[in-house]
Amino acid sequence: MTKNVLNYSYYPGCSLHASAKEYDESTQELFKILRIGLQEVPDWLCCGATPAHNVDELLSLSLCAKNLELSEQVEGDLAVACAACFSRLKTAQHKLEENPEKRKQVEYALDAPLTMDKPVKHLLEILAKDYGLEQLSSAMRKSLSGLKVACYYGCLLTRPADVPQLDCAEAPTIMERVIESMGAETVKWSHRLECCGANFTLSRPGVVLQLSNEILASAQRAGADCIMVACPLCHANLDIRQKDIEAASGTRYNLPVLYMTQLLALGAGVSAKKLGFDSMMVSPLPLLQEKGLV
Amino acid sequence: MLQNKNSKMTLSAETMNLDFVKKVEKLSGSSVRRCFQCGKCSAGCPMRTFMEHPPNRIVRLLQLGQYERVLAGRSIWYCASCETCSTRCPNKVDLAAIMDALRKCSWDAKGASKESLVQLANRLFLDNIRTYGRQYEMRLAAAFNLHSGKLLKDFMLGPKLLTKGKLKMFHQKNKNLQEIEKIFSRIEELRKKGEAP
Repeated sequence: MTKNVLNYSYYPGCSLHASAKEYDESTQELFKILRIGLQEVPDWLCCGATPAHNVDELLSLSLCAKNLELSEQVEGDLAVACAACFSRLKTAQHKLEENPEKRKQVEYALDAPLTMDKPVKHLLEILAKDYGLEQLSSAMRKSLSGLKVACYYGCLLTRPADVPQLDCAEAPTIMERVIESMGAETVKWSHRLECCGANFTLSRPGVVLQLSNEILASAQRAGADCIMVACPLCHANLDIRQKDIEAASGTRYNLPVLYMTQLLALGAGVSAKKLGFDSMMVSPLPLLQEKGLV
Repeated sequence: MLQNKNSKMTLSAETMNLDFVKKVEKLSGSSVRRCFQCGKCSAGCPMRTFMEHPPNRIVRLLQLGQYERVLAGRSIWYCASCETCSTRCPNKVDLAAIMDALRKCSWDAKGASKESLVQLANRLFLDNIRTYGRQYEMRLAAAFNLHSGKLLKDFMLGPKLLTKGKLKMFHQKNKNLQEIEKIFSRIEELRKKGEAP
């Protein structure tokens, strides 16, 4: 077996074990073919996501600190796939570093001194910065040329400016650069940083029907063939709810929503069968067939 | 009313409810008083059409001592935590953190706000973590429908997601559930002792 070029500990987050399983599968496949090692953190917990920080900051910080403690069992920087988990873990590091009072409370909750130094990295950062775009480009086996991609960042990959530090908060290009390195074409569009309605999908789905409709309409206007995401909740709202959105707005979109790892893995030569395309609500297969990619 | 153009409007500490403002500032780590009402936060807020008070007005109401109206309203529960406001504020007011602090105040004063569905979803989400360590979407959705009385919500979606393998009926249990329970109970302990908000 060939040696890995990079190694990471891996925090998939709850969605990647259920509604976003194709994000997990395609991440594993992509990293395997690029020879980047991923080892899952044993017994990781939910990061608390939006509900925890919305009403109980101390709980949110404690859950994230516990996960960072657990991640110490595995070597390598912590790779995070979900934009929300990434944002929560980075926020916890940021807040606990600058606020000794909160740090003391969290240490009490965990009954242990905090171990917070492990760098937390989103997959995008690993691919674009650690692995490198040139390397990524040379790993290409099947160019995605001719595929017009609308890169959708959503909220938490870049905001607020001082926390994720993945790219510029208001005019990021990291997703475009990553997918262009596999030959794809990216479109310029208005709604790539707007909110999809996030977790209102459970409590107030009407919010998602309105906000995600605007995003789909904007991508369609820009002439995109598909939308690329790096967040399971954005995916759920744009893909799983797309039929409902079409019914509510009276507009036909039929826009496949793909995880960035699915597209990258396809470009790197992973068989389409391993990338979970058939578990998506808006099937990308007709599009990918038309472009000669499957 | 202003008597003439030279008279000044002054606010006393009592009218301002300065204690509450200070509480929010401590919880959020952000100034409330620094806001000068430019409105950039509301201009970029994706949720403003769902709110009775857009974000800049929430801050103004706090500055004017009207916090009870804020806590009772639905606006704070309709914030999506997208962080656009905090990113764009020219005065470094961290409005998203202020919203978290306000939700905590409203949440702790049980029943303060009539927006019950968002709060119900939050409560079930946190209960799930305490019981299972991780989020199980199917359990969460089923519990939400049961507790909200919306039994048929997404009725057509469930079976489709199941056949696509996106919802799991059964799952592995975390081995560290006792440790998780201890985190929750130690936080409760700290609060009882008055050592954490």
